[in-house]
Amino acid sequence: MLVSTWTLPSSTRQRAPKALAPAAIGLALAGITVGLAHAADAYMPIVMPITGFLSVEGGSQRNGAVMALEQAPGGMKVDFPIFDTGTSATGAATALDKALSSQKAIAAAVTVFGTEMVAMMPIAAEYKVPLLTISGLAKITESGNPYIFRFLPNDREIKVAHARYVVEVMKKTKIALISDTTAYGQGGFALLQEDFAKLGTKPVFEDNSIAPDTKDMSPLLARVKASGADVIVLHAVSTPMTLITKQIKSTGLNIPIVNSSSIVEPTATALFEPAELAGVCAETPSAPEARTTPAIKAWADAYLKRFGIEPDGLALGQYDGVMMALTLMSNGAKTAEDLRAALQKESYQGVAMTYKSNGHGDLAHDAEIVCWDGTSRIPKIVAHYAGDQLILK
Amino acid sequence: MTLLQLAINGVALGAAYALIALGFVFIVNATGAVNFAHGDLVMAGGYVAVGLGAMAPLPMIVLLPVVAAIMFVVGVVVSLVAYFPLINRPPSTVFISTLLIGIVLQNVFLVLFGPQAHAAPPLIQSGILHAGPVAISIQALGTLVVAGALIALQYLIFAHTQIGRRLRATAQDRQMAQAIGIRVHAVIAATFGAGTALAGVAGMLLANQFFVYPTGGIPLSVYAYIAVVVGGWGSIAGAVVGAMMISLFQVVVSAYVSYAVATGLLYLALLLVFFFRPQGIFGELVRRRV
Repeated sequence: MLVSTWTLPSSTRQRAPKALAPAAIGLALAGITVGLAHAADAYMPIVMPITGFLSVEGGSQRNGAVMALEQAPGGMKVDFPIFDTGTSATGAATALDKALSSQKAIAAAVTVFGTEMVAMMPIAAEYKVPLLTISGLAKITESGNPYIFRFLPNDREIKVAHARYVVEVMKKTKIALISDTTAYGQGGFALLQEDFAKLGTKPVFEDNSIAPDTKDMSPLLARVKASGADVIVLHAVSTPMTLITKQIKSTGLNIPIVNSSSIVEPTATALFEPAELAGVCAETPSAPEARTTPAIKAWADAYLKRFGIEPDGLALGQYDGVMMALTLMSNGAKTAEDLRAALQKESYQGVAMTYKSNGHGDLAHDAEIVCWDGTSRIPKIVAHYAGDQLILK
Repeated sequence: MTLLQLAINGVALGAAYALIALGFVFIVNATGAVNFAHGDLVMAGGYVAVGLGAMAPLPMIVLLPVVAAIMFVVGVVVSLVAYFPLINRPPSTVFISTLLIGIVLQNVFLVLFGPQAHAAPPLIQSGILHAGPVAISIQALGTLVVAGALIALQYLIFAHTQIGRRLRATAQDRQMAQAIGIRVHAVIAATFGAGTALAGVAGMLLANQFFVYPTGGIPLSVYAYIAVVVGGWGSIAGAVVGAMMISLFQVVVSAYVSYAVATGLLYLALLLVFFFRPQGIFGELVRRRV
């Protein structure tokens, strides 16, 4: 098994002045390399949603990838230009094609957005370059494309944790199941329907038609209230999830809400007073901001120092994924094909968990449930699921 | 949750939409051109409120005039950059230039504030007021009152002041207004400023409950356009009614059917309006004379 040799790199000790941040983002938006202009050992572009409605999630995963690339083991120098997908399928396909056509890439760190992943997959197969992603959309590793490697649990697995916690731990039976209209929302909604059925329950309320730009959630919550639901199970991207979670308090609907992982992002919790988060739970692949182990604490502290914000599970998943690839490269993977083969067979002890492919490119098989107690924006881990616990017959 | 409560929420959101649509129609009337940066200017007002709230922890009702003043200046600058250099070009040129201004604004928000959502401080304070079975947020009530007052104020200015008469004269016939001594360019710049100030205040009102984020203005531009078209092109009363119609479908109708169905019904209702009144609810039928 490969083990992360994580140390605090010199680049994190000397944090860039905040005033430079806008310039750095500007360069990223222009698709101009932020890698150094030197003879690099490898080329690994970052192709992610820096703008658009998934830019928060994209920003987190970009930070994770950048942090790993800045800490490449063995003194390796990697060029990593950042390409913005604009949170659109066409933007993603164009950006990846541009990234892979300009130089011979050994791999690419790519989008969290399932819709964009679907558009990128044929391009990865055409260029024969492994894509390192944290997209949860189940089908991306179920279509036989050997170049897709996922470092967050497949939604098919993490939704099992989501559903099991609601039914088995919270003992809720009158479930209101809600999702947004994105591919992520629709995919998770269908999986949760399946998982609740396998657990012997059927939601009393279902709505998967929430557009990401919906503002007033009071009509939705009125229908939830009328259904007699005793818990809300929500699978959505950050903005509608935040609005629903925030507005639930103002409707007099006093029931718990168990969200998908978008709410665990510090940029989302910053929109709440700690008391507003009381009774809110969420599934997440990891919760680095809770700093539950020494390795996670050291990594989270370094991330905070490097980027000035608390990390989230997306950043850590992308960090571990890129660092696994870099470690394999440092151990001898010289070409994209070498790296693809190594990613398929090696296991790797990352900061968050142990990564090992299931033969389809899914390397992460751990999930956690976190809850807020109303005293802090940092959640507490209340349940951990791994391996066979993430499979429902 | 009662129908009354939903109706209050719907009217509060509609009042904010109405401010946006009013600003939009001001500029349409003054220039004949559609300002597709309008939604992004709403977001700009929200970001100004977020910034001011961080610098001076005061209720937003106190900072409202400052937000309006800053956004007035922003509107004048937009007119200088995106309208006056193209004043003799076809209206579609201004349409494109304002679209580009909107994209520039989105990227400015991204660089200055990051991709994440931000919330502005409340107008007065956070909290819920209870009246029997009805629970309504203080922010929604404040939005309703402030937007209502501003709509009434603009009506008074337009209908009963010399400035309003000059604005209307410029909107009706720019050349004739110039011929009778009205400083048309100054009036147009002021109209851009006033329309943008209304958009900015709407952004401030929305930014507490519904947050601001770089791309949040895109649907607002579309809502404003729809409200103005369905209400009657150039009609101020029509803009208000059109905005209310959109919000009532979004908030009240969607309490009984899913959002997808409510959205479908909204657009079906708009098609019916166009079928029976192609000129819009308050629009005047224009006939070409040979």
